[in-house]
Amino acid sequence: MPSVIPVGMSQLKTAKSPELLAVYGIGSCIILSIYDAARQIGGLAHIMLPDSAGMDMSSINPVKFADTAVPALIEAVLDEGALRMGLEAKIFGGSEMFPPTEDFTNTIGRDNTKAVKAVLKKHNIPLKSEDTGGTHGRSIEFDLSSGKVKVFIVGEEMREL
Amino acid sequence: MENVLNITRDQLDALREIGNIGSGNAASALAQFLNRKIDMDVPNASIMDLNEIPNLVGGPNQTILGIFLKIMGEISGRFLLMIPEKTSIKMLQYLIPGCEVKSLTQIGEMEGSCMKEIGNILAGAFLNALSVLTQTPMLNSLPSINFDYAGAMIDNVVADMSAVSDKVLMLETSFIEEEEDMRIHIFILPAPDSLKLLLQKIGVAS
Repeated sequence: MPSVIPVGMSQLKTAKSPELLAVYGIGSCIILSIYDAARQIGGLAHIMLPDSAGMDMSSINPVKFADTAVPALIEAVLDEGALRMGLEAKIFGGSEMFPPTEDFTNTIGRDNTKAVKAVLKKHNIPLKSEDTGGTHGRSIEFDLSSGKVKVFIVGEEMREL
Repeated sequence: MENVLNITRDQLDALREIGNIGSGNAASALAQFLNRKIDMDVPNASIMDLNEIPNLVGGPNQTILGIFLKIMGEISGRFLLMIPEKTSIKMLQYLIPGCEVKSLTQIGEMEGSCMKEIGNILAGAFLNALSVLTQTPMLNSLPSINFDYAGAMIDNVVADMSAVSDKVLMLETSFIEEEEDMRIHIFILPAPDSLKLLLQKIGVAS
C-alpha cells in the first residue's frame, strides 16, 4: 500500500508517485492541487481565506490565504523537481456548510473559490477541473501516480476528477 | 485585536469558570426540555490548534450533526454544537412520539426543527448566564444545521477567526445523559476582537 499523507488546515505538502495526499473534512476551505503529470510530482495547499491584504506577513502562515498560497505551492512543487510548463491545477471545497439566516451570511466558501481562480490565472496555471460549492463537506485523496483525485461527499457516490 | 497567544493561565481559568456557569445553565435547560437527567463534564478553556479541534469529536472525517449559531452583541462570537448521530436520534425519539428516524442523512423538516430548537435552548441558556455575569447582553442568531464531516463544519466556522493565528480560543464542554452515553459537544469561540472586552468584564483584563 502506498503511503497516505494527510494535509491539515493551512498546511502545504508535496509528494510524488506512488504516494497519496489526503484531506479529510473540507468545508469552506479550498484545497488546491498542482500536478506535473510527466514527472508524477505534485502538492496540495489547504487554503482558508481569500486575501492576505493588511496582514503582517512576517508572522502569518502564507498557506492560509489564496494570494500567498498559490505561489507558495508552485514554488514547493518546482523544488521537488516539477517543471513550470507542465503544471496544472484542480480545486476542491468552497462549500457553505451552514445555510445563512437573517443575522448570518456565509460567503467564505464562494469568496475563497473566486480568489483562488483569479490567483491561478495571474500565475498562468491552467485550472483542469474543480469540484466546488454546494452545502456539503468533502474529503479527497490525490493519487500522485495517476494525478486523479477521489472526492467523497456524505450520502453521495464517490467521484474521480 | 487581542492575540489569543497572549492569554495567561489566570485568564484561562476565569474563562473556564464562566464556561462552567454557562454550561450548568444550559444543562439544566436541556434536562427540562428532554425531561431527562443530564450530567455535565468539567468544561475546558483552551488555546487550540485548528487541526486539533476535529479530534475532540472523533476526527475530521467523522460525520456528525452540527448546529451553528452566531453570538451577537458587544461581545460576539460563534456557538457550535456537535451532536453524534446516535445521540441525535435518541433525542428525536424523546421529543417526537413514534419517531422512526434511523439515519440523519434522511431527516425531515420536523426533525430538523427539533434539533434546531435544541441548539436554540442550549445557546440561549448558556448566553443568558454569560450576559448576567458580564452585565453585557448577548443574544444568539437563529440556528443553522447540517449533518456532515466534522472537519468541514469546523473549518467553515473557524476560517475567518484564524486569520492572525493558527490557534483559536475555545470553551468546550460535553453533556452526558445519565442512563446512556449520550454525548453533546459545545464549542464557544469568542471573536478575537471582543476577547479584550470579555476579559475586562470578568475582571481579568491584562
